[in-house]
Amino acid sequence: MATRQVLPLRTAVSTSAGLASAAINFLACVEVAEYAGGSSAWIALLVAGGLIVFSASNFAELSGLYPSAAAIRVWTRKGLNDRLSLIISLVYASTVVFVIAADAFVLAQAFHAAVPAVPGWLWIVVLLGTIAWANLRGIRVSGKIQDINGAVLLMTLIVISLIILGKTSWPDPSQFFHIGGGTFQAIALGVFIYVGFEWVTPLAEEFDDARAISRGMYIALGLIAVAFGLFTMALTAIFPHIKALESTMVPQLIVGQKALGIVGFWWMVLITMTTAMTTFNGGLFTASRFVYALAREKALPRRMAHLNKHWVPANALLLLAGLSLILALGVMATGQYTVLINAGAGVEGLVYALSAWLVFSLRKREASRPRPFRALGVPWIALGVGAVFLLLGFGALLTTTAGGIPAALIFVLILTAVMTGYVWFVVPRLKSVKSSNSAVKAEPEETIK
Amino acid sequence: MLQTLEQFAEACNTNARLRQMNRDWSRTIAILPTDRPEVFWLTSKEGFIQAGQGPVNAADLQIRADHDIIVAVFSGTLSPTEPYNAGDLLVKGSQDDLMRLDIITLLIWGE
Repeated sequence: MATRQVLPLRTAVSTSAGLASAAINFLACVEVAEYAGGSSAWIALLVAGGLIVFSASNFAELSGLYPSAAAIRVWTRKGLNDRLSLIISLVYASTVVFVIAADAFVLAQAFHAAVPAVPGWLWIVVLLGTIAWANLRGIRVSGKIQDINGAVLLMTLIVISLIILGKTSWPDPSQFFHIGGGTFQAIALGVFIYVGFEWVTPLAEEFDDARAISRGMYIALGLIAVAFGLFTMALTAIFPHIKALESTMVPQLIVGQKALGIVGFWWMVLITMTTAMTTFNGGLFTASRFVYALAREKALPRRMAHLNKHWVPANALLLLAGLSLILALGVMATGQYTVLINAGAGVEGLVYALSAWLVFSLRKREASRPRPFRALGVPWIALGVGAVFLLLGFGALLTTTAGGIPAALIFVLILTAVMTGYVWFVVPRLKSVKSSNSAVKAEPEETIK
Repeated sequence: MLQTLEQFAEACNTNARLRQMNRDWSRTIAILPTDRPEVFWLTSKEGFIQAGQGPVNAADLQIRADHDIIVAVFSGTLSPTEPYNAGDLLVKGSQDDLMRLDIITLLIWGE
């Protein structure tokens, strides 16, 4: 039986690549290059990408097994238990807020560099506020615009990087294969470049062909590896002593300017804006629906299930936008953006490790259930790669800030503790409350006249 | 099952506010019990819902679950979110349509 509205493979690719290609990736590339020691950064990105392929195959199997917008909530509930599932889902959903906040910070830096008269924090408030307002009005960036934006970003990175590599004298070939003491951290942070590729899985219900998700993720991973790999090589070609880049918050603007002069500079400002705004839009849309679904199952306060007249879960969206804004302004005030990168890389590394375990566990628990796609190397290679992700996740979390403090680890531990306490003590009370006539309060306001 | 779906349709059609809300929502929903061979459907057109049994050529939304879960959801004894988030109720189609269906059940029976 055919469904009338289906998404094409192209949208699976652009969604996967688009959500992974956040503006914060530009700064993450600098960090990867720093830890890798310069020109050999591509090795870290390649190794991280190779490991991610295994993780993508795990997500493809899980998504085929349970194609649901509730994605990780369903898989962990089936593979673990309800409480753990809720804690993991809430922490995982928080990474959306990290990425939005980090992108808001990068966007503010780029705009402040382009128009210094306007303070960075004002850009954050205006641009995040604009996207939140558009979402509240039910205005969605259409799939086609997302497709075009993703393609333009990746093509821009490839072309500009190739121009720079063509213009610049190359370092000694041995430097391309240098393995330094920071390689492990470089790989762990390299994972961050790909983070978000799996956020296409909540769209599984909208694809007619169950294999579109797996194909889309694989193609997207290849494109991201090439585009951001070349970008990192271009960075190290411009700055052979990568420490010189430490002080800049706008490496993409420098690369654009070096390649194409002032046109390249402004083009990269535009690309940064569209990339960040796509992240805001996609992140707020997906996460607000997730919060809505949790509120409907009474795991979150029911006011989070409130829909406005445009059928948008307004309170959920405002909460997420507000948290992102607070976090972004906090990062702006402290300059500690690496905490968000490390926290995001750490949480995702742990979730990728978990995906291997879930595939293994569900192969036993749900052995007879149809699987349109089967993960690679199950059980031993997949579990081995899962163990590597576990180490990489902790490696990212243990990365210290300037004062020698593992701020990302502390941040994620506090977040997990809060979520655990919430799930253990607050959720049972929410579930036990008998609602009055909630239907009247939950209906989309002004829709029904 | 058919009786439950017909009662659901009637509950929607006798609710003036729901009819107004669904006036521009024209959809065909296929309901496929995973443990039974029968196929059922719901259609929404100009604010009115109809239920029936038999194959559907092109559905906007497909709902798959055990017979008992589908009956529980459409009779209001179970919120659709619960089996959905547990992976026991699978849907194929647009998320906007899914949310609309969720709200319809919420408006008829509450939480």
